[in-house]
Amino acid sequence: MKLRVDLDKCTGHGRCYDLAPELFDEDEAGHCVLLHAKVPAGLEPKARVAADNCPEEAIQTTA
Amino acid sequence: MTEPEQPETKPASRPNPDPESGEVNLFSAEFAGCPQPVYRGLVQKCPVAHQTFTGGKVLSRYEDVLWALRNPQIFSSEMEMQLALGTERPMIPQQIDPPGQTKYRKVLDPRFSKKRMLELAPDVRRHANELIDSFIDAGSCEFDQAFAVPLPCTAFLSLMGLPQSELPFLLRLKDGIIRPQTLLDGEPTMEESQACRVQTGKDIYAYFEEVIDERVRKPGSDMVSYLLETEIGGHKLSREDILDVSFLLILAGLDTVTATLGCNIAYLASNPAQRERLVADPALLPAAVEELMRWEAPVTAVPRIVREDFTLHGVAFKAGEMVSLQIGAANLDDEEFGDALNVDLGRVRNRHMAFGGGPHRCLGSHLARMELQVAMEVWHERVSSYSIAPGETPVYSPGIREVTHLPLVWPAA
Ligand code: HEM
Ligand code: SF4
Repeated sequence: MKLRVDLDKCTGHGRCYDLAPELFDEDEAGHCVLLHAKVPAGLEPKARVAADNCPEEAIQTTA
Repeated sequence: MTEPEQPETKPASRPNPDPESGEVNLFSAEFAGCPQPVYRGLVQKCPVAHQTFTGGKVLSRYEDVLWALRNPQIFSSEMEMQLALGTERPMIPQQIDPPGQTKYRKVLDPRFSKKRMLELAPDVRRHANELIDSFIDAGSCEFDQAFAVPLPCTAFLSLMGLPQSELPFLLRLKDGIIRPQTLLDGEPTMEESQACRVQTGKDIYAYFEEVIDERVRKPGSDMVSYLLETEIGGHKLSREDILDVSFLLILAGLDTVTATLGCNIAYLASNPAQRERLVADPALLPAAVEELMRWEAPVTAVPRIVREDFTLHGVAFKAGEMVSLQIGAANLDDEEFGDALNVDLGRVRNRHMAFGGGPHRCLGSHLARMELQVAMEVWHERVSSYSIAPGETPVYSPGIREVTHLPLVWPAA
C-alpha cells in the first residue's frame, strides 16, 4: 500500500499523527510529515484510519 | 438563467423543500440545551435556512459547510465592523482572509503545535487532581465553577504568560464580549448588550496596551513577548496587530474548553450506559473525546459573508449577505457519518467539524484536545459514578454552549 499527502490541502488538524504516529509526524507548524510513502507491512489499517479521519481529505492510500 | 461559474467542488444541488419554513432561532437557551433535533431538521429538510435572531442564511449539510470553509474567496471572514464583537478592528487571524491570514498563521501555528501543547500536560494533570481533591469528599460540586472554568483557564494563562491572579478580571472581560447578558441585570436589549461589548472591548485593548508596555521593558518567554519579536515579511508586527491577536486569544482561549468540558460531562452524567462504557474501557478516551465534540459541537456555528453571487440548492445567495455555517448540524449529517444520531464513543471514522476546517482551522485545537483528554481521563479515574443532582436541570448558555449550571452528585467517600 502507498500513501500520499497533498500538503496544499493539509491545514494541520493533526489527526494523522495522532492516530498513526508510525506513519506520520508533524513539522514545526503542526502540518503533516509523511514518514513512509510505502506503508510497512502490517500498518495498512492504520494508514486507512488516518486517511479516513483527515478532515481536509489530504491523505490518499493506493493499493 | 445560467448559473455563474463555480469552483468545481461546489456541492450538487438538493431540493430545498420550503425555505420559508426553515426559520430558526439559533440563539435561544432552549436551542443551546438541546440543539440536536433542530440540527437534524435542518440537515434533512432545509439545507438553506433562515436565521431569525441575527438574520442571514444558514448552511447545515456537511458537504456544504465544508465547501464554504474551504472557499474563503466566496465565503469571507472579513465582517462588517458594526457586526463585530466590541472590536475596533478585525481580530487576527479569525476575521481576515487568506493570503493575509496565512502569514499570521505561519507565525502562530508553531506556538500552538501538538508537541508544544503536550509539554503542558503534566501541569494540567496535577491541577485537575488538585481541583478534584478539594471537593471529592463532599460527593457533589457545581461542575462549571469547580472544574470546567479553572482548569483550562489556568493552563491558558500560563501559556500566555499572564498572572493567574488576573483570571477573574480576564473572565469578566471575556464574558463582557461573549455573553454580556451574564454581566447585566435582567434581560438586556440588543442595544444594551452591544454597549457592554463596546465598553469591554475598550477595556481589553487598554489591558493589553499595558501588557505590551511591560513586555517591551522586560521581555520574557510569554506570548506577547513572542509577538513583539515576530516578523512577517521582514517587518515587526505592529502594536495594533499584537492587540488584535491578543483580543482573539483571550476570547477563544478562556471560553471554549470550559464549554466543551461542561457539555461532555453533562452528556455522560445523563447517559449512564455511555459513561459506564468509558469508565470500563479508558482506552476509548481519545475516540470518545472526538465523538463528544462531534455530538455536542460547543462552538455551534461560524459566520461568513458572501463575496460573490451564487446559487445553491435553488436558492440565490447575494454578495454582502451573512451566512452561518452550522458546524453542529454538519456533524449530524448521515451522508458523512452514516449513523449520525448514534453516539458511538468508539467511532473509528470521525471527520467532525467541531474545530472548523480549511484555512481557519482552530489554532487552539491541539491545546484543546490535550486539555480535554487529560481532564476527562483524570475525572473518570477519580469520580467514575456521577449524575445530575436530583431535581436539578443543567443550564446552557446560547452562542458558545457553556453549561453555566451543572450540579453533579456522586457517592461520597
Ligand atoms: C474545544 C475547544 C475549541 C473549539 C470547539 C474551538 C472551535 C473553533 C472553531 C470552530 C474555529 C473556526 C472559526 C472560523 O472558521 O471562523 C476556531 C478558530 C480559532 N480558535 Fe478555536 N476552538 C477551541 C479552542 C480554542 C483554544 C483553547 C484557543 C486558544 C488558543 C483557540 C483559538 C482559536 C483561534 C485563534 C482561532 C482563529 C483561527 C483562524 O481564524 O485562523 N481555540 N476555533
Ligand atoms: S490530518 Fe490531514 S489536515 Fe491534519 S495534519 Fe494530517 S494531513 Fe494535515
